[in-house]
Amino acid sequence: MDQEQLVRVYRNSVLARRFEAKIVELAMAGELPPALHVGAGQEVAQIAAIEALRPDDYILYGHRGVAYMVARGVSLADMLADMAGKEGATSRGKGGVMHVVDVPKGILGESGTLGGSFVVSVGVGMALKRKQPDTVVTYFFGDGTANRGPFHEALNWAAVQKLPCIYFCENNGFAISMPTSRSTAVENIADRAAGYNVPGVVVDGNDPVAVYEVMEQAVARARAGHGPTLIEAKVTRLQGHYVADQQEYRTDIDQVAEKDPLPKLQQTLCDRGILTQADVDDIQADADQKVEAAVSAMRAAPLLAPEVALQDVYA
Amino acid sequence: MPTRTYSQAINDALAEEMQRDENVILYGQDVAVWGGIFKVTDGLLEKFGPDRVFDTPISESVMVGAGVGAASMGLRPVVELQFADFVITAGDEIFFKAGMWRYMHGGAHTIPLVVRAPSGGSGFGPEHSACPEAFIMHAPGLLCAVPSTPQDAKGLLKQAIRLDNPVIYFEHKLLYQMRDEVPDGEVLTPFGKAVVRREGEAVTIVAWQDMLRRALSAAERLSREGIEVEIVDPRTLNPFDRETIIESVKKTGACIVVEEAYRTLGVGAEIGALLVEEALPYLDKPFKRLAIPDVPIPTSQHLVDAIVPSVDDIYRAVKELAD
Repeated sequence: MDQEQLVRVYRNSVLARRFEAKIVELAMAGELPPALHVGAGQEVAQIAAIEALRPDDYILYGHRGVAYMVARGVSLADMLADMAGKEGATSRGKGGVMHVVDVPKGILGESGTLGGSFVVSVGVGMALKRKQPDTVVTYFFGDGTANRGPFHEALNWAAVQKLPCIYFCENNGFAISMPTSRSTAVENIADRAAGYNVPGVVVDGNDPVAVYEVMEQAVARARAGHGPTLIEAKVTRLQGHYVADQQEYRTDIDQVAEKDPLPKLQQTLCDRGILTQADVDDIQADADQKVEAAVSAMRAAPLLAPEVALQDVYA
Repeated sequence: MPTRTYSQAINDALAEEMQRDENVILYGQDVAVWGGIFKVTDGLLEKFGPDRVFDTPISESVMVGAGVGAASMGLRPVVELQFADFVITAGDEIFFKAGMWRYMHGGAHTIPLVVRAPSGGSGFGPEHSACPEAFIMHAPGLLCAVPSTPQDAKGLLKQAIRLDNPVIYFEHKLLYQMRDEVPDGEVLTPFGKAVVRREGEAVTIVAWQDMLRRALSAAERLSREGIEVEIVDPRTLNPFDRETIIESVKKTGACIVVEEAYRTLGVGAEIGALLVEEALPYLDKPFKRLAIPDVPIPTSQHLVDAIVPSVDDIYRAVKELAD
């Protein structure tokens, strides 16, 4: 990962963090529905992983935040419209912010049922192999989701077919309130890779360079026709499962803030002389400006017409 | 006119569409090397090669879910579920992914997927014998075909493969060996067009697949007694041709639905509701359903015979209404 890429990861992480904070603010104020599962703390890993993809590669994602879309340049205003049910909404009021879609930008969408996209990703891989060789699909999912049956069916068949699929687990240690240690028999989700005869790699999700390097190898393997890789990034969920979650069930809550990878990344960039404090200020101001512009655009947009509810069932 | 079996007609439809469009792929458990447990896909691996015709592990969720993913990216997958009952096994993938992936993403995806589902019959027990059309008809986003003749088996499957929406295509296991005329050349059966299989004035019978065959047998017997029934084969349940049924009921004033499925909230219940809403003034007699009483389908043949509507049951039901 070169310096330009690392700065881009930082820039997009700042934007995602501030965008989500604004969404929470508007949700708490009652302007938007409280329907976002905030990704704060995990966005650095998500964005670093996407940095290892090409723009023509595809992404299926989990529900933990909107950083995937930010990394691909999906319109912030359109995502706010997804939440508000307004014109511009990428899923036209049908899926909300949990099902943002932008096919030209490689954002294919998300399953409502957790892990539902495991099986969809296999089909995407089958189509890419036949119609767009040399492109790959990455599915981002959580440790909790990895306990659903489709994980097994998908990993097995993707491996048998040597599909260009990358399975990127964001292990934040919790399935809503349940710690992974109580829900999952293996220590690492990646340990399960042995059951599918694919590489399983554990990486520190708070280290964007490490995430990028692991992804780079997985992408190279997928492009070469050698099949899937199961990556597990140990990440930090800074906030609750949903907007109003007070996280009474967490015993690590006091130590969470110091694990936040975003200030660390900023420190690294400044320590290495890649960014000055003025650059950091500019990046943060630019993010705030983009977020405010998106909010204004969303506020100005009209509500979707009621008849939209009847559309898009059939082609 | 040449004749083909229902099974051969399905095989012909697959071969012709795979020949016509290289995006059509076919997969399922045992469909490639072995030609399917009912031998419907025999020879297709040899014709089209392992990249387009392939076997899958016993993984119904990923079979159907991958079909949705592949369809959304430009392939036209035809997936064989070994038994129609397994639309429930792959419920998330059938009802949520195939049925709703497009809607949930605001129309961004198009899902030209066909799921072939061998239904009905007996001797296979409660989880391998159902005709779960009503589940599909109830769910938004899924088209549903129920071919009853070799010609429609071919025509509806070819049409299904060309449609840009997911189709659950029920092929009835007891019809596989039915032989009948199939015209030469292109055979395409439109969705949403019922056909009147027999004309009459006494009673309208709505039936499809093996129940249609039984209704036609009962009609022969009734005809010898001077009772002429009209039999409507809906051919597809979504879209559903309401007009043809209502027009028939206007003529006969009575309607019996015969279905090889559980009675409560079955397709018959929907047709009954349709008639109450839109054709009540034309009904001179009570609407009637012949269906499986709400029990699972047993394995032993004589027990199956005790619960699935028979030719005698249909005969008696018509006589009661006609008297």
